[in-house]
Amino acid sequence: MDNDVICEQLREIGAELALGVLPGRQRAEAVRHLDRCADCREYVEQLTLVGDGLLGLLPGSEPPAGFETRVARRLQHAAAQDDRGRLRGRGSLPRRGFRSRVRLRVAAAAATLALAFGFGGWAVGTVLSNEAAAPSRPVEAGAGMLHAQLAGVGHERGPVGEIYVHPGPPAWVYMSVDLADAGIAYGGKASCVLVRKDGTSVRIGAFTLHGGYGYWGAPSSVDPSQLSGVRLIAADGTVLATARFGAR
Amino acid sequence: MTAPQEVLRRGAGAEPPRPMDTAAKAGENVRVIFRGRQAIRRPGRTVYPGMQRFRFPVGRLPDEALLAGLATGDPELAATFVRRFQHTVFGVALAVLGDPQLAEDVAQQTFERAWRHAQMYDSRRGSVTTWLTAIAHNLAIDVVRARRPQPVAPEDLDTLLDVVTDTPEQLALADEASSALRAAVARLPREQGRALVMAGIYGMTAQQIATMEQIPLGTAKTRIRTAMGKLRSTLTSPKRGDHG
Repeated sequence: MDNDVICEQLREIGAELALGVLPGRQRAEAVRHLDRCADCREYVEQLTLVGDGLLGLLPGSEPPAGFETRVARRLQHAAAQDDRGRLRGRGSLPRRGFRSRVRLRVAAAAATLALAFGFGGWAVGTVLSNEAAAPSRPVEAGAGMLHAQLAGVGHERGPVGEIYVHPGPPAWVYMSVDLADAGIAYGGKASCVLVRKDGTSVRIGAFTLHGGYGYWGAPSSVDPSQLSGVRLIAADGTVLATARFGAR
Repeated sequence: MTAPQEVLRRGAGAEPPRPMDTAAKAGENVRVIFRGRQAIRRPGRTVYPGMQRFRFPVGRLPDEALLAGLATGDPELAATFVRRFQHTVFGVALAVLGDPQLAEDVAQQTFERAWRHAQMYDSRRGSVTTWLTAIAHNLAIDVVRARRPQPVAPEDLDTLLDVVTDTPEQLALADEASSALRAAVARLPREQGRALVMAGIYGMTAQQIATMEQIPLGTAKTRIRTAMGKLRSTLTSPKRGDHG
């Protein structure tokens, strides 16, 4: 079929596609076209933003009293179920539960397609896999905020945590670590060392890891714009994990 | 603005009690979770001296950092995350469902989805609020489709259309883009506005809209397309125009 004709047809159904109300067969044909037509992709992306914006006009409303507690219970229950499922599947007893979600990874290409033409914006729950993502994928998050994933040193099993550096003022650093994902059950003090672009480094604090897991935050006097990365160092000087911030 | 010294000083226990808190006895690796009046001790898990010492103000964390914290399963960050977004999430669910009990269930599911799939969030594609709103909306639409032959009563449709086009409180709080979009929706002919709300908020197909409005299918499709086209024009610059 001629590409121009398809583009014209897509103009007819793009709004329904972006709002997620296009019937299945037409949707599949439209997505196939979008896969090879950048102009139509942009067109539908814009319409998807309109759909998201429309939802943003809905008024907020306070949930009934106790909602927060009920959500917490639900998460704990879900975590317990996950742990039981893993126990049945592996015949061993992983002890992480709630926090083990960090191991979920996105099948990137499928997610990109689903998100870009996501039938109501973000398509969630369709493209998860247990494959490890590339280590230290630099991502810029928020205005001026640095974000990077920590990679375990000597391990290629994917991210072992995340670090955020907020520009402030005051600037601050937040780090979550789960080294157990890389098979490192380190327990004890770990130092957070920020690395500047000129190669110098500064230790901004330490916190305790339990079974490889912990999180920590602290104010920082280091200019975030001068940072190139971070190192997480054990008490004996071993580098446990590193991360690199993307070039800005 | 909070100075670093002030951040540090908060470690002295100045914060009010929270539903979930940690035992702070020196050297004791015990976590205490309060359920009603019952304090449940959970030894050997998460006590973080670093966080204890600095008393990092989690309420000031950006949305993205809170979401990352949620993914790690940290109870305090999870509670803060829920508090920050529950108003928006529940509002979306209630608007679509019109039933507080169903809306609460959808809102709870939304936070569970966010916890499970936090790794999917990409800040380059939109805000955390937009991401959560989309999750809540998709879940609510699923509930509507499963439970009701007609997603919305005609009177409820008009009420919601009025709400999204003229709410003084919302106008006062909205950013520029939201205000422009709201104004554009208000300028739509009523029949286009109805088609837009039916498709964009209630998830109705063009065929369902045609049936409800007793119009030909082609007319329903045209109303959706025309309305969306007008709104798109308000959000995009002329340079990012059409092709083909």
